[in-house]
Amino acid sequence: MKRKILTTILATIIFLTGCWDARELNELGISLVIGFDIEDDKVLITAEIINPVYSSEEAKGDQIQSVEYVQGIGNTILEASRDITLKFDRRLFISHNKVVIFGEEFAKRGLVKNIDQLLREREHRETAKVLIAKGAKAYEVMGISSGVEQIPANYIAEIVNNIKYNPKTGDVNFIQFLKHYYHEGRHPVAGVVEKKSKDEINKVGNDGSDKDYELTTLGMAVFKGDKLVGYLNGNDTKSVNFILNKIRGGIITFPTPSENQEAENLRDFSSTVIIENKTKRDVEIIDNKVILKAKINLKTSMGEIIGDVDVSNTENIKKMEEACSKAIEEGITLAVKRVQEEFKVDIFGFGVEFHKKYPDKWKEIRDDWDQIFSEAEFQINVNTKIIRTGLINTPLFKIKVK
Amino acid sequence: MVSKDIKVNKEKILTCFHYTSDLTTYEFESNYGIKMLICYIEGFIDRKILNDDILKPLVLGLKDREKIRQLIFSPKIEEEILFENIVDELSHGKLAIFVDGEEKAYLVEISSWEKRSIEQPGAEAVVRGPKEGFIEDIAVNKVLLRRIIRSNNLVFENYKLGQQSKKAVSIAYVKGVVNEDVLEEVRRRLSKINIDAILESGNIEELIEDKPMGLFSTISNAEKPDVVAAKILEGRVAIFTDGTPHVLIVPKLFIEGLQTSEDYYIRPHYASVLRFLRTLSLFISIFLPGIFIALQLYHQEMIPTTLLISAAGAREGVPLPAVLEVFIMIIALELTKESGLRLPKSIGMTVSIVGALILGQAAVQAGIVSGLTVIVVSIAAIAEFTIPDLANALVIARIVIIVLAGFAGIYGITIGFIIMAVHTLSLESFGVAYGWPIAPRDWEGLRKDTFTRAPIWKMVFRPKVLQNYNYRRQVPPRKK
Repeated sequence: MKRKILTTILATIIFLTGCWDARELNELGISLVIGFDIEDDKVLITAEIINPVYSSEEAKGDQIQSVEYVQGIGNTILEASRDITLKFDRRLFISHNKVVIFGEEFAKRGLVKNIDQLLREREHRETAKVLIAKGAKAYEVMGISSGVEQIPANYIAEIVNNIKYNPKTGDVNFIQFLKHYYHEGRHPVAGVVEKKSKDEINKVGNDGSDKDYELTTLGMAVFKGDKLVGYLNGNDTKSVNFILNKIRGGIITFPTPSENQEAENLRDFSSTVIIENKTKRDVEIIDNKVILKAKINLKTSMGEIIGDVDVSNTENIKKMEEACSKAIEEGITLAVKRVQEEFKVDIFGFGVEFHKKYPDKWKEIRDDWDQIFSEAEFQINVNTKIIRTGLINTPLFKIKVK
Repeated sequence: MVSKDIKVNKEKILTCFHYTSDLTTYEFESNYGIKMLICYIEGFIDRKILNDDILKPLVLGLKDREKIRQLIFSPKIEEEILFENIVDELSHGKLAIFVDGEEKAYLVEISSWEKRSIEQPGAEAVVRGPKEGFIEDIAVNKVLLRRIIRSNNLVFENYKLGQQSKKAVSIAYVKGVVNEDVLEEVRRRLSKINIDAILESGNIEELIEDKPMGLFSTISNAEKPDVVAAKILEGRVAIFTDGTPHVLIVPKLFIEGLQTSEDYYIRPHYASVLRFLRTLSLFISIFLPGIFIALQLYHQEMIPTTLLISAAGAREGVPLPAVLEVFIMIIALELTKESGLRLPKSIGMTVSIVGALILGQAAVQAGIVSGLTVIVVSIAAIAEFTIPDLANALVIARIVIIVLAGFAGIYGITIGFIIMAVHTLSLESFGVAYGWPIAPRDWEGLRKDTFTRAPIWKMVFRPKVLQNYNYRRQVPPRKK
């Protein structure tokens, strides 16, 4: 009897579930990047949808476009995306979105308020990167691909991923963006994408008119609450990434501290390659004044030396380390100052540190934190260690002389 | 009862055999005037021995009807007075000699028939290790086993099974090592068999199995004497059946399907790698096509983007739903397997060419299936062949999983896995837990001889689940 009941239950489980939500692959319009804009007070969605045939055997040799672009408009995101179904044969499938691009206008109106649907819908992926189209509509930057990747979405995602080679770009996904938005005493940042015409040097081998433009993710978008307020330049972005502890690689360039001072040329620079970085943020109250602190521990490898410095000598390495630390300190101080003066918003998360350290005081100043932040003193301490010198010790020109 | 008159006896024998044409009866008289009758089944006996060593001395020298044993030199000569026994023995290849005026018959064992020579079995080929396999003759098979275990403790017990077939069946075990409970159980179940004919050991297997409707067989079979020897030395019981090279061994554990005899002859590291591969292929073979379908139909977000694009590209223009597509490939594969097995070797080539066509590029180009499906189904099939012992069960399990995946995605696969695991681990083989050492858990067994194979000198004990008292196998030559 028990057996019969069990069998019945199992059979019910299997057969009553049915295949109501089964979707064959060839019913899906796989979108890899999606853009949001405001037009006529309505949401305009632009999606880049893969044309899967381009990857199949028969398409080899044929000039089949790898992606199709579709647009839909509506009062809400959902309405706009269902608007697409009237013009496009497949249902939008956004689980594989790598990048979500917001037009500048959309971001200025308030981002978080208007993207409720993206996190309510189970299909959307929270690891998609958030990018703001600088000075443009989202659909204007979509579709530009000057890389090797056949699919423009991969091109955008990869240049954001290149933060590990050059931290002058913002790499923020939905989870991080929203986390920073919800934090008390912190304002979110987002990545930036900008359309640029290729300059002279890039025109080598240019063959088609559609390749006249390229994208760059240089810089970072600064938000106040959920509203876009401005952009940082490349060097400031790098400094912000330093304080946010988001440095995963890249290089640091600083003036070479040459051995014989008379030979010193202002144009002599050296570069080190970042191996590992750890940043600690801290806040302190001294004499009722808030002091923001950052301590950076950096491990680097010597990448390039222009100038007369022999790094086989320990003292010279010390000099190089100091020069490198100084360059970083200067850059970061400048960036913090600019944020304090220009935007007056704490995008570094010092408020979070303050909240943790002085929870009682925080309650009093909670609402004035941005003001306190923009007037606070900033102290930076960089400790650089050059742990490798590369394949040669002495600069190349010196070996030749000897 | 045997009559004194050979004419009566002849009539009786012929009646018993319903005048069958292959029964030979031959009446003759010795030089001294004693009348005799010999009976045998044509083709069952050695004619040379019959002529030279039986007929000739009897005709030339039988003076006294009592002294027949002095003329025929054979250790296997018996006197029999019961008629039914004589009839019985005739069909086992014995020769019956009736002497006129005696109320008994002499039965001489001179049976001889054509046998296959000892060859390497097709199913259990090895690179390293003995290559001889059992043949159809039970006497030869027993000798093959005794050549490996030359001990007085190796015991055979004979049975005759089937009212018509009277099949010679022997159980073999090593006294002192065998689990007496299992042995008693084997004897009990064999004695309960009451069927008209046993044709192959598979018949016995089904008749004495614990759960005959279970997915996995709980009785293992082997074609190689070294495998049987290794297993009965762990305390198991082997069942030899005349007329088949497949020897049954009980009890069986699930993990035996993942083991081969060669694992114990090659170095333990590589054997462990092979064990790991076989475990992997067990799961691949059952679950891969199911997971493929589930991901494709329900969980597209779990496929890496690049793979999703190429999978979607491959599916463009394929007219069938994904489940049907996989089913078609599986049916094609099973057809190829089956036809390749049964066809005569001379047209086997045709099958492999046709098989390559329907399972390969041609099918993809024709737009019936997508290339990815071909690959997935083929990988599952190749994985299946690494575990020939479980292969039949795997095919069924795979189809069940595919159906469940088609209905309910990963959810369905999980249900299928749970049902299968519960079913498999609840099986018993002759009172021994089939899932040992996984459930019930035995770390010693798990560590030494399940997913890895420990060096021989570390396997100090026999599998504990098979034993009731004699655990220790060796005193290892090395100490830790």
